[in-house]
Amino acid sequence: MKDRHLSLNQTQRVRLEAALHELQSLAPAAASAAAVTVADTIPVNQEDNILKGHGTSDQDGEVVATLCGVVERVNKLVYVRTLKARYKPEVGDIIVGRVIEIAPKRWRLEINFSQDAVLMLSSMNLPDGIQRRRTAVDELNMRSIFEENDVICAEVRGFQHDGSLHLQARSEKYGKLERGQLLMVPPYLVKRKKQHFHHLEQYNVDLILGCNGFIWVGEHVVVGEKTKTTGGQQRFSTEAENFTPLETRKHICRLANAVRVLSALGFTLIVELIIETMEASVSSNVEINDMLGAEFYVQTAEREAKRRADLLRKKNGASSREGQLLMVPPYLVKKKQHFHHLEQYNVDLILGCNGFIWVCDMNYVAWEICNSLARLYEYLISQAIECPSQSVQVTNTFVKNLWRGFMRVPCAK
Amino acid sequence: MVGLSEGEKHFIHGGIAQDIRTDGRRRLQFRALSVHTGVIPQAGFRTCLVASMCLFLLFLSGNALRVYVSSDWWLLVLQANGSAHVRLGATEIIASVKAELGKPSILHPDKGKVSIFVDCSPTAEPMFEGRGSEELSAELSVALQRCLLGGKSGAGAAIDLSSLIVVEGKVCWDLYIDGLVVSSDGNLLDALSAAIKVALSDTGIPKVNVSLSAASDEEPEVDVSDEEFLQFDTSSVPVIITLTKVGRHYIVDATSEEESQMSSAVSVSVNRHGQICGLTKRGGAGLDPSVILDMISVAKHVSQQFISLLDSEIAAAEAEAEE
Repeated sequence: MKDRHLSLNQTQRVRLEAALHELQSLAPAAASAAAVTVADTIPVNQEDNILKGHGTSDQDGEVVATLCGVVERVNKLVYVRTLKARYKPEVGDIIVGRVIEIAPKRWRLEINFSQDAVLMLSSMNLPDGIQRRRTAVDELNMRSIFEENDVICAEVRGFQHDGSLHLQARSEKYGKLERGQLLMVPPYLVKRKKQHFHHLEQYNVDLILGCNGFIWVGEHVVVGEKTKTTGGQQRFSTEAENFTPLETRKHICRLANAVRVLSALGFTLIVELIIETMEASVSSNVEINDMLGAEFYVQTAEREAKRRADLLRKKNGASSREGQLLMVPPYLVKKKQHFHHLEQYNVDLILGCNGFIWVCDMNYVAWEICNSLARLYEYLISQAIECPSQSVQVTNTFVKNLWRGFMRVPCAK
Repeated sequence: MVGLSEGEKHFIHGGIAQDIRTDGRRRLQFRALSVHTGVIPQAGFRTCLVASMCLFLLFLSGNALRVYVSSDWWLLVLQANGSAHVRLGATEIIASVKAELGKPSILHPDKGKVSIFVDCSPTAEPMFEGRGSEELSAELSVALQRCLLGGKSGAGAAIDLSSLIVVEGKVCWDLYIDGLVVSSDGNLLDALSAAIKVALSDTGIPKVNVSLSAASDEEPEVDVSDEEFLQFDTSSVPVIITLTKVGRHYIVDATSEEESQMSSAVSVSVNRHGQICGLTKRGGAGLDPSVILDMISVAKHVSQQFISLLDSEIAAAEAEAEE
């Protein structure tokens, strides 16, 4: 993506700096501590045999960073990982790429990596769907499946011995992407999650976040139609009936602009954030084109700062850990219902048969309730130890009863 | 320039037909325009300061560095009488105007000389390295000369050449206008003309005192003042509006993706009074004459808004420079 530069007036500049400063202060301290710039010394224990990796150099006996990035330590290896680096692939990543060449029995794709990725003909489903050996006729008809400059989504299958990537597109959800636009953002903004294909039903839009930084925003395509050949379909004509409907197009443009703004601000791209940015633009009646303007840019930064501050406040309001693990003697827990969600206290209670009990607060409930339940169980344990002949059965109703009459726990129940 | 798949091309065509382009603009809407003046210091000011490293690499080796510019970063050994840095979306242009004393041509002893030259830096596109940009630079230079300098006889020029004369027949000002394309994302001609207009508005021609005791056939002595400057009047300098025809519709300010889909493009140079000062057509497809007339009227309409926007930006930049 070409960089855009915004001319901010004085108030906007002040607001943006305030928002960025707040985001900086909200970031976990550990992350900023490991960041280095060029010529910073990296603190190492001099006695160990430290292996100096990428981005470091030996200067007067000190290990000095030669890149701007984050210091990573793996056993004896110390190296500096840059943030805006090229995409670093891993097996199983979902990527979006563009075909640049058709070679014998394979397609070469450009995926913002140091080398081109290779998609073998055998790693691709044939249009007729039959599983068979690829013949010479198939090889000659490769262009009818994917042509040059086509945008394809696929999955990383593995690495070749020379470091280049092998892709596979055997599933129905992979294949050619049409009717939309491709956006390129820095790869570090797309984190590996469980799902990269997002079908936004309310907008009828497909959003594919490729791990290599290529993001596809397009009209929704029913799974299974991606692998149709272009020869069979009608060719794209400039007839009005063939174009994307206007409402869908507006949504696609809004989502694309939301992605552009978020990537310009350097925020990690997650679907919820993209949708939230887009909806904020709709609710504040910002024109689609003005989403790329200075005012919306500053507003997005402020909104994100506020969101992260709220999240941190909620987390700090509740316990610093999300829940507590209690260990009671296993015989106290009988095999009944084990997962309990106590709505009245908004607490999750999991009674493990092995005596480990997990109490955690949902919805950031007050610390006291969590604490009280912990005290409750400690009391139970102490009671069990004092009256070993009576086993105290820990069940949901028992907990409720105990809660009501907390101070009057009988020894035998 | 990356290629586009059939699906993406279809999407772009559809967007233009439905009046919502890929970034949400309408067909006749420009991208965000930002203007900075005085980016290259004037003669006599800060000439001995160390050149900024980025710019040194930019001009000499054509490294692929991204240069983020604001007027207080530019400390150069180079000088110019006027300069401007214009951003139109992701397209960035730097224009500079240098004035030197020279002899007027024998055919026009009462007119000064202006020459316009455009250079495309390799930071914009890797293919601009070495001689790769010659064709494009030549095309842009010729188009700008045609629009701003008028015909061979000097008639119809945007800049009043007779105001550049110092001593008739002997000494005149030569203006060298240079445009540098730093980043290219379509619509280079519009951005170049805007940058040249802004640079001319920032230009100060030094006042010249001619010694009166010179004989008529000798070279007169001129004393170039360092302090007093004459500002240029740029109210009659035209701007160029390029209309790109994609499918059946025209768009203004095309990005490089949209330009790759064009069938033809017509660049019209219009001044403040609505007069056409120049016309250039690019692209291989033929156009019906009625289409051309329609494009000219659309360009005239769009240019008035663009000129007023540019004037307000120039005023804002000048106010900022004075602070």
